[in-house]
Amino acid sequence: MRKVFVITAREYIAAVRTKAFIVTIVLMPVLMTGGVLAHALLEGQVDTTDRTIAVVDRSGLLAGALVTAAEKRNEEAVYEPKTGKKIQPAYHIKIVPPNNKDPQAQSLELSDLVRRNQIHAFLDIGPDAVFPPQAEAEAEAKEAKEGRVPPNVRIAYHAEGAALDPVRGWLRTAVNDAIRELRLKKADLNPSTVAYVTQTAPVEPMGLVSIDEATGQVRQAQTSTELDVIIMPIIIVMLMFLMITIGATPLINSVIEEKMQRIAEVLLGSVTPFQLMMGKLIGSVGVALTVVSVYVIGGLIAVQRMGLADRVPYELLPWMGAYLVAAILMFGSMFVAIGAACNDLKEAQSLMLPVWIVVCLPLFVWMNVAREPLSSFSTGISLVPFFTPMLMLIRQSMPETIPAWQPWAGLAGVVIMTVILVWLAGRIFRIGILMQGKPPKLGELARWAIRG
Amino acid sequence: MNAVELQDVTKTFGSTVAVDSLSLAVPGGCVYGFIGPNGSGKTTTLRMIMNIYYPDRGSIRVFGEELHGAWTDRIGYLPEERGLYKKMKLGELLRFYGRLKNAANVNAEVDRWLERFDLADWADKKVEALSKGMSQKAQFIAAVVARPQMVILDEPFSGLDPVNVEVLKDAVLDLQTNGTTVIFSTHDMNTAEKMCDYIFMIFKGRKVLDGTLSSIQDQYGDDTIRVRIDGDHSVLRDIPGVSRVNDYGQLQELRTSNGTDTQEILAAVMARARVRHFEVARPSLHDIFVRIAGPEAREVQHA
Repeated sequence: MRKVFVITAREYIAAVRTKAFIVTIVLMPVLMTGGVLAHALLEGQVDTTDRTIAVVDRSGLLAGALVTAAEKRNEEAVYEPKTGKKIQPAYHIKIVPPNNKDPQAQSLELSDLVRRNQIHAFLDIGPDAVFPPQAEAEAEAKEAKEGRVPPNVRIAYHAEGAALDPVRGWLRTAVNDAIRELRLKKADLNPSTVAYVTQTAPVEPMGLVSIDEATGQVRQAQTSTELDVIIMPIIIVMLMFLMITIGATPLINSVIEEKMQRIAEVLLGSVTPFQLMMGKLIGSVGVALTVVSVYVIGGLIAVQRMGLADRVPYELLPWMGAYLVAAILMFGSMFVAIGAACNDLKEAQSLMLPVWIVVCLPLFVWMNVAREPLSSFSTGISLVPFFTPMLMLIRQSMPETIPAWQPWAGLAGVVIMTVILVWLAGRIFRIGILMQGKPPKLGELARWAIRG
Repeated sequence: MNAVELQDVTKTFGSTVAVDSLSLAVPGGCVYGFIGPNGSGKTTTLRMIMNIYYPDRGSIRVFGEELHGAWTDRIGYLPEERGLYKKMKLGELLRFYGRLKNAANVNAEVDRWLERFDLADWADKKVEALSKGMSQKAQFIAAVVARPQMVILDEPFSGLDPVNVEVLKDAVLDLQTNGTTVIFSTHDMNTAEKMCDYIFMIFKGRKVLDGTLSSIQDQYGDDTIRVRIDGDHSVLRDIPGVSRVNDYGQLQELRTSNGTDTQEILAAVMARARVRHFEVARPSLHDIFVRIAGPEAREVQHA
């Protein structure tokens, strides 16, 4: 056993002391949260060039309202009120009298203006856009709801990249406001009454009420946002995946290094192949636990600062540790066996693919598991040893209470699977580590594992 | 007591028989040379003694006991193809190897060897910075740092310059003086002749020679004549009683047929050229090696 720890210590120090490790430990969370950060940073970056929108109003009812709405917007939203800095483009409405003899020619003419950047876009409002026949309008609304374009387009926004254009979003609101006002007036209804009548009443998501054990008082339920519910599974999935990447994958490199640099034989003069493999596996568990401690402690401090300390599910931390250790051993042993069987990374990659698919699968299904932790699909898949570390933990982190035996059963399954895989990997490792030449096929690996 | 005893050991890989019913005894405290062509089973045998490979048949006893994992702590091993962790510091690496053997006083021992091999200044440098000769010396230290009772050195001198060969040779002989059994394999017959108490040759998985140098040479008798002559060497061909001429350029080695009188050969050579040197000798180890494993042996086998 002492020899295993000598190997472990070397492996651990070799991994932790590299610059790459420190870079990874810092960079990985940055990369993972990078998308969100980049989005937040870039949100303020808006093209503030003013836009001119030509409006061909064949109904003769809307153009004036649009001009007013644009002016109002230009006054309120374009400049930051405190600094006077321009933060949004101004919209200018240019009314174009409709050419009813040849509407096609007019559309072409306006399109050319857009192409030459003289105007940003043009809006074509049909003659009965404000008051379409009711039956037709209902049918069209139904079509639109089902995601189809109705055959009769009454209001068309023409621009380059029209679908994603923020101008279209603003125009839709402005046009609809104007139409609604006209329709209400025609029906002789008071707009403010209608607004009150159609107002949506919110339904707030709240957690369950519980009793505070210290005071015996009923503790009020906390409001829970969608983010609250989804944030734990995201953290779990990311952290687990990250740990397997940081902890287990370097094993493949280090085994290949030992094999190709002919270090393995020197080591095997002193230790058995199984001791060597176990030493390496335990070393990488140590590396993963180091990283996860850094993140968890850092996370806890951050949460404390934000005053959210009581939202942390502390009871999950031991489970997380146990699953993490098992996951690294389970996947690590597969990587070790593959590394021992191959001569370089390129050869290893094709053998690694199936393992990676297994590692990554929870990334594709975790949403479903988080949404319905009690469904039979979630229960079943979280009891498959390869997926238990991520998916069972997600189910445990959800507000729904899962049967108490399931995490234990999952853990037992993972431990049994780990023991089997480590044992099989040991047999492959012993044969592979001193073997040179053509890499074995999966079938040969299986034969090594079975015959020993 | 014998340090190593092999009884009828056989090892096969797939359909290839790497070692075939090999029996062997290495007396304690001696220097034991393993020779044999590439691929003849040397390394496989050494790996079996190291307990890295398990024999299919037969028994291996080290220091009188059947092999078990822990015994390898008493054996230092320098494999033929060897590597060091490139990113580790030299001193650290050697201490690591020492600890793997459960050695006592690892630090002092590492310092002593680094000093002896003139590597003390390199202890804190990374292995990748070492020259080839230095890293070979480092590998030797790795094999002996745990003060083993026996060292197995697979080609310890290959690729070294003469100065480093001297340094390493002295170190090996010192180990022997201190009672360590040394088994080493080599392709350099000169070294084997000069250093080994016993020589063992393996060819195609079978033992073909085993014993002291002189007992091996005795099997062949004084059948070799070394000649230097002035002028054209081709006159040495077709001398009656000479079965083979080996041309080394400056020196010619003649092998006599059984029962030939060397005086007659001398007369024949003198009749053809001016003789500067004429020596009747036992065959060199090199010559014996080539006779067993060279093209000549193949001719005999095919005939």
